[in-house]
Amino acid sequence: MHTDPHGPSRDSRSSERRTSVDEDWTKLRTLLLSPEQTQLDEIRERLDNRAVQPREISRVLPEAFAMRGETDQSLSNVLTPYVEHGFGAAVRKSPRAIVDAIAPIMGPAIRQAIVRALQSMTQSFNHSLDDSLSIRGLRWRLEAWRTGRSFAEVVLLHTLRYRVEQVFLIHRETGLLLHHVAAEGAVVQDQQILSGMLTAIQSYVQDSFGASPDQTLDHFQVGEWTVWIEQGSHAYLAGVVRGTPPETLREDFQAALDDIHVQQADALTQFDGNAAPFKTTQTYLESCLHAHYESPPRPSALKLWILGGVGILLLLWWGAMAYQIHARWSNLLAELGAEPGIVVTMAKSTWRGYHLEGLRDPLAKDPSAMVIEAGLEPSSVKAVWSPYYSLDPQFVETRAHSILHSPKTVKLAVEGDTLVATGAASIEWARETRRLATLVPGISLYRDEGLVTTSISDLLERVNRTVVRFRSGSSIVEPSERAALGAVSVALRELDQAVSQSGQRVRLEILGSADETGPATLNIQLSKERAEAVRSALGGKELGGATTVITDILGPLKPLGSQGESGERIVILRATLTAASRGNETTPP
Amino acid sequence: MMQKKICMLGGFAVGKTSLVRRFVSNVFSDHYRTTIGVTVEKKSVKVDDRDVTLVLWDLYGEDEFQRVRDSYLRGSAGYILVMDGTRKATLDTAIALQQTAAKAVGAVPFVSIINKADVRSEWEIDEGVIEQLREGGWTVLFGSAKLGQGVEELFVKLATQIVQTSPIPSDSL
Repeated sequence: MHTDPHGPSRDSRSSERRTSVDEDWTKLRTLLLSPEQTQLDEIRERLDNRAVQPREISRVLPEAFAMRGETDQSLSNVLTPYVEHGFGAAVRKSPRAIVDAIAPIMGPAIRQAIVRALQSMTQSFNHSLDDSLSIRGLRWRLEAWRTGRSFAEVVLLHTLRYRVEQVFLIHRETGLLLHHVAAEGAVVQDQQILSGMLTAIQSYVQDSFGASPDQTLDHFQVGEWTVWIEQGSHAYLAGVVRGTPPETLREDFQAALDDIHVQQADALTQFDGNAAPFKTTQTYLESCLHAHYESPPRPSALKLWILGGVGILLLLWWGAMAYQIHARWSNLLAELGAEPGIVVTMAKSTWRGYHLEGLRDPLAKDPSAMVIEAGLEPSSVKAVWSPYYSLDPQFVETRAHSILHSPKTVKLAVEGDTLVATGAASIEWARETRRLATLVPGISLYRDEGLVTTSISDLLERVNRTVVRFRSGSSIVEPSERAALGAVSVALRELDQAVSQSGQRVRLEILGSADETGPATLNIQLSKERAEAVRSALGGKELGGATTVITDILGPLKPLGSQGESGERIVILRATLTAASRGNETTPP
Repeated sequence: MMQKKICMLGGFAVGKTSLVRRFVSNVFSDHYRTTIGVTVEKKSVKVDDRDVTLVLWDLYGEDEFQRVRDSYLRGSAGYILVMDGTRKATLDTAIALQQTAAKAVGAVPFVSIINKADVRSEWEIDEGVIEQLREGGWTVLFGSAKLGQGVEELFVKLATQIVQTSPIPSDSL
């Protein structure tokens, strides 16, 4: 365009012409393109100076954030440290504002956490108190020490019995069932309807008490079932628990719910009734299906030791008792063997008791008494004794006395097969005994050369001869008279013995008398006193069972033969025989 | 399995429970409706050859003594309005309830049914009014609790509408 075909001489002219054209062009261009030029300049300016204009960014920032947020997480990643830093700075700068902002949210959560912690602690404490002093408690203490657990934890583990039978994961807003698990054997009703009802009941309770949204139904109890409800932001867990669950179970529920919220965050926010994505929560819900059964009580080692000890003691006691009883039995047998008049022919010991058979002399000791003396239960010893006569001298002698009715003045002795009688007896008894003695079992011979015999008539005569004399006005038996009365007393006793063998009785009259000096009444009194004095000197009533003693006064002035007569200061004795049964009196010979 | 929460709404004694009783799974006694104001029942229907479980919240009849609790409506995917053809007042109640429900759960599908179709001659609600409702976007069906008519259609229609607004994902079977 700018080529110059002319020579250099024309350079200046052409150059001027060219300048004016350029100016014209420039003017024309300015006239035609001025607005566009301005815009171009602006664009160039912008391109050259690329500094960010805040106003422009402010127009697009929200949309830009939203768009980038939809594509990936970069924005969040980039912003997180700045947000954290900013938040930290804000907390440091004005903590009050932050506290005011979060207090309404944190307050109920903290309160709830504290209440749960306290409940859990109280529960543990109560159990600890109950169990700390028992044998079981000591065993659990040992277990706590061994396993490194706290005692309270061990107590809870052992005492609580519960079973989480069903766990519902329920969408909070719609009340629709997201997922459900049940323990084996649990009774399951229509879970979808139950989810709706659970949600309705919560709404009802919340509405009825005007509770704020964060105050929710925590649990409710029906008989042995407790329904525990754990709230999350989009879903809640409802656990149907049979028995008494520990408060710590809630922590498991909450942990499972938190995990589900993290894992299913999108599915929960976009839930439209399709529960399929929540099948993956199965493991979390199953982790809540706790069951704890109290283990059947096993006898503790200590208990076993005690039981064993008691058993051994019982065994020892039984052994000692058995030995003692056996020793008593042996002693009894030895004593029975040594006892005269008893012969044991058979002795048997069985588990039911003892059995004895043998011979027993009727005069021998009673074996039953010996059983008691030996310390054995009489009912445990069955004994059969056949009677027999023992030839033991002791029994022969006793039997001889018994058969021969020997008076007390006679002494019988057994020497081999001979019965020897000594002492004094009536002649009648001596005669009878000579006849009967050899009939006593064990006696072949009888000897009585040492026996002094007197007849009843001799004795009667000896008694009836007696005269006791008194001083004037006295009823005291003089010493000289007393000696004579001693001999009479012996005669009376012999007489009593002799008479009793013949079935008769002796009537002894003691008759007192006085002289005629003094008044008659005094004399009668004196006579009575003298008779009584003699009676007492003779031994009173101890003269023998067959003798009847009567005291009386002598009739007036009655001749008494060799004894003198009445009217003297005397007492005379008058013995007569009477038949015992009939009372007939026989006159003295 | 797709589940949808449905509320049964209607005036006092319009026959809500009678309408559905023979067609639903029920485990709770009616006692709950009078105590806590609701009983939950279940009805499965087929939409496009797919099962949809309708979890029915049968709310206690709205009257001057007891108002429907908004909290029970929350989260509903749709609702059913029941009227009694022989009592015009139940229509007004249904209209009021529709407004309450729309406020609580937004513009979700709903179907209305006028009960006692077996005694049509005694109706107080006339065709003109019904036409007005239809023009206002209502789906109005007729049913008879006594004869068991119109109920299946009622649930299928509502389920279909709900599914159309939020299609069932293929993996939900």
